[in-house]
Amino acid sequence: MTYLVLLPEALVVVTAVAVLIVGRMGWLPVLSRRFLPLVAALVVLVAFGVELWAGAALTTYFGGAMLQDRFALFAKAAVLLIAAVAVASADWPAEDSLHLGVAMPLLAAFGVMVAASAADMVGLWAGLELAAAAAVVLVALRRPDLGLRLLVVGAVATSLVLVGLAFLYASTGNADLSAIHDVLSSRQPTLALAIPTLLLFGGLALRAGLAPFHVGPLPVGLGASPLGAGLLIGLVTVAAATAGIKLLAALTPIPSVYAPYAYVAAALAMVGGGAAALAVRSPRPRMAYLAVGQLGWIAAGLATHYRSGMAASLFLLGASGVAATCGPALLGRAEAGETAIAGLGAVRPVRAAGLALAVLSLAGAPPLAGFFGELAVAAALAQSGNFVLLGLGLLGSVLSVAAAIGTLRVLYIQGPIEEARRGAAAALPAVTALSTAGAVVFSLIIAGYGLFGNPILGLADQGAEALGLR
Amino acid sequence: MTLLTIVQASPTPAPAPGAGLFTSPFLLSILIWVPVIVAVSLAFIPNPRGRYDALVKQIAFFTNLGTLGLLMIGYSQFENFLPTMQYEEKIPWLPSIGVTYHLGVDGPGIAMLVLSGFIGVVSVLASWGVRERVRSYFSLLLLAQASVTGAIVARDMFVLVLFWGASIIPLALLLIGWGGPRRVPAAWRLVGYWGLGTGALAVGTLALYSASGGTSFDMDALLKSALSSRVQLGVGALMIVAAATRLPLFPLHGWARDVLGEAPPGVVVIVASAASRLGAFLLLRVIVGAEPTAAHLLSPVLAALAALTVGYAALAALRSLDIRHTGAYLAMVPGGITVLGLAAVSPLGIMGSVLSLFTGGVAAALIACICATVAERAQTRSLAVLGGLAPRMPNATWLFVIAALSLLGVPLMASFAANVMTFFGAFKTQPIGAFAVAAGLAVSAVALATVLGRVLFGAPNSNPAS
Repeated sequence: MTYLVLLPEALVVVTAVAVLIVGRMGWLPVLSRRFLPLVAALVVLVAFGVELWAGAALTTYFGGAMLQDRFALFAKAAVLLIAAVAVASADWPAEDSLHLGVAMPLLAAFGVMVAASAADMVGLWAGLELAAAAAVVLVALRRPDLGLRLLVVGAVATSLVLVGLAFLYASTGNADLSAIHDVLSSRQPTLALAIPTLLLFGGLALRAGLAPFHVGPLPVGLGASPLGAGLLIGLVTVAAATAGIKLLAALTPIPSVYAPYAYVAAALAMVGGGAAALAVRSPRPRMAYLAVGQLGWIAAGLATHYRSGMAASLFLLGASGVAATCGPALLGRAEAGETAIAGLGAVRPVRAAGLALAVLSLAGAPPLAGFFGELAVAAALAQSGNFVLLGLGLLGSVLSVAAAIGTLRVLYIQGPIEEARRGAAAALPAVTALSTAGAVVFSLIIAGYGLFGNPILGLADQGAEALGLR
Repeated sequence: MTLLTIVQASPTPAPAPGAGLFTSPFLLSILIWVPVIVAVSLAFIPNPRGRYDALVKQIAFFTNLGTLGLLMIGYSQFENFLPTMQYEEKIPWLPSIGVTYHLGVDGPGIAMLVLSGFIGVVSVLASWGVRERVRSYFSLLLLAQASVTGAIVARDMFVLVLFWGASIIPLALLLIGWGGPRRVPAAWRLVGYWGLGTGALAVGTLALYSASGGTSFDMDALLKSALSSRVQLGVGALMIVAAATRLPLFPLHGWARDVLGEAPPGVVVIVASAASRLGAFLLLRVIVGAEPTAAHLLSPVLAALAALTVGYAALAALRSLDIRHTGAYLAMVPGGITVLGLAAVSPLGIMGSVLSLFTGGVAAALIACICATVAERAQTRSLAVLGGLAPRMPNATWLFVIAALSLLGVPLMASFAANVMTFFGAFKTQPIGAFAVAAGLAVSAVALATVLGRVLFGAPNSNPAS
């Protein structure tokens, strides 16, 4: 029974590896395009169901290296749902490889699950790297040059994280997160702790694409395939944020060593993300910058170093993760910029609705998932008296909503371009039963996140409590 | 036995008209969510080559008419003299941060709700001429209508912020998609100003939430908590900013000319009436109704803003050479009068304000809409070109005259009683402000007379080139 909680991880990783092997060996039948994404999405949904059923048990395994608590339950359930919807709603003809396209989101999800369950630094790092590696593979498929760039950026991020973790280990004498928390409870904040923390969170911010570090990974995501972009903007960010939240929870006894960084990064990301989203017109970069802005809200919640702030950040992370991962997947090719989605509301109504909801949710427009998450963070900021950060966040949200309205105008007000002028760069997303169902489920999640906010926020709150926060 | 005799002998109170017809505990939710459901359904109804455009318009019309009918039944059952909230719905929503799905209406609320329901029907009728992307237009119109209704009945500040902010997106899209030649800058102005107002409302709400212990967003808890004068002033100032962007009040009126000048008539009706009256409604709820210290300290500021708004709007209308801009400026006048009544902080002034929420909303909608309609039908907006239209547009002429009289609050018009109460209330406590507003209203009368004389009753334009 103890190991039943590992069944979701097992299902996901076995499916991913099986798809990789079968695809590599050329054993996939020609008709597999029709059923492979469906099978993968169903397996992940089964894993999601098992996680909700068996994941409620609190347990440790692998000699305490991994643990199942409410935080792990929340993060794992969220990432499984994100992966299932992303695989279902993707525009598969726009992807470069079917088997890699199916396997990599599953491996990235597995990486997040490992990070969410990790009880020590090693597990956190391993999970983060696994998610990031999956993104590199998908990016390199289409643009090897961008793949190489992402690899280099990732190497810098990894170095920073590893150096930070090593310093933290040297300072506290422990790799176990709860033990670090206990040791730091009796310590005063020192420069020797503040410097590794800066390196550590610099690395994580680079991985997550949090401003001002978004200049590294973000342009890479813009050249990737739709699912690759979603993976980079969404799941890798979720992995980095998950690792960051767990590390912050360990550092909460001495918040002065990380809170200033979080404040600055949050302010920059919230305002900068909104302004940049307004400045660009092409839908994918706009979505990426909106995601950066929302990541700033998540960082703002973490900066409060209270349980309410952490819970609100987790709540928002779920909303942001699903919109940032599935948004680019729903967008499809759209390499011709704004023109590619002009009038999509008339020719692909369900996909356009999903896209509109993704953009609006990332902008924090009411009454969608992102709005509820941002307002929960705002309530936490108000409780902790951070009204300057709150004001900056609201400014960023206004800019983001203005940007989102620009995309909605193109989707619904402008007429579609003539078919003869469309070309491959502006090809319409393919309509399949699976992609339509994926878009519908995505829309329901985004629209219903607030409606069912109580159980989700309750679980996020339990997750924050499980990390030892008051 | 004696008791039974007494009971049998007592006269049975006559039931209120409509009593017992409708007893749904979810009346307010129905008023909000039915239009939303219809809007979403309309957005996905297949409509090849506009084949079902007429059906879409009819669905939108009957949805709004149906909700108005329900609202009128609710209104007839509304207990006018009860000081408490009625038709309350209270369901815990996000208990961990203190959010409840709490709706309810009181006297001012029901007046606003009737205005919103009435305007909903009028906006659909005023939009009957829409030919392009009919499905999207009416979906957005219903969403805008629902969000305004939601903001009126919200009894939880979180829910209020939600609906307050939610109205921006459909209105901006309606403006971008179906507006005049300068629609895009107008839409950005709307988003900018109303976004600023939403931000101010959100910060004010969160400041209240934080100051009252951070346990609940419910107005019953937030607005009844004992707050220091400093907090009351800070929150009051933020609420004034939020209200000023909506009403609009000088100097945060920058969107009004462009939006009311470029939006299609159906959207003008909503923006000029219920959507913008929300600003005054917010001031009434949060400052006058709940923060006595802030109300007394900020009342001169409110009076000054009212005077500046009415004065500026009147002078700008007098100078304008564009009939739609004139209509937009004149539509700002009733908002100033409403705020003057609130600034009085006296029972008579507040009663006048509550009444003018409805009458002023109707007058503003009518003047802005009729200016838009005249410009549309005459195919020009220039006051230099328009002339002698009364014989050719008799119905529009009547409406224009009624709008002008209503705006000025002449006797027999609904706004007369509201204006009289407002001025009588305000002259006691804010004499300078009241005098300035009255002077502004006189200048508005001159502007209206000029427009009426030139456009309707002047000599027809004999220049064929124009």
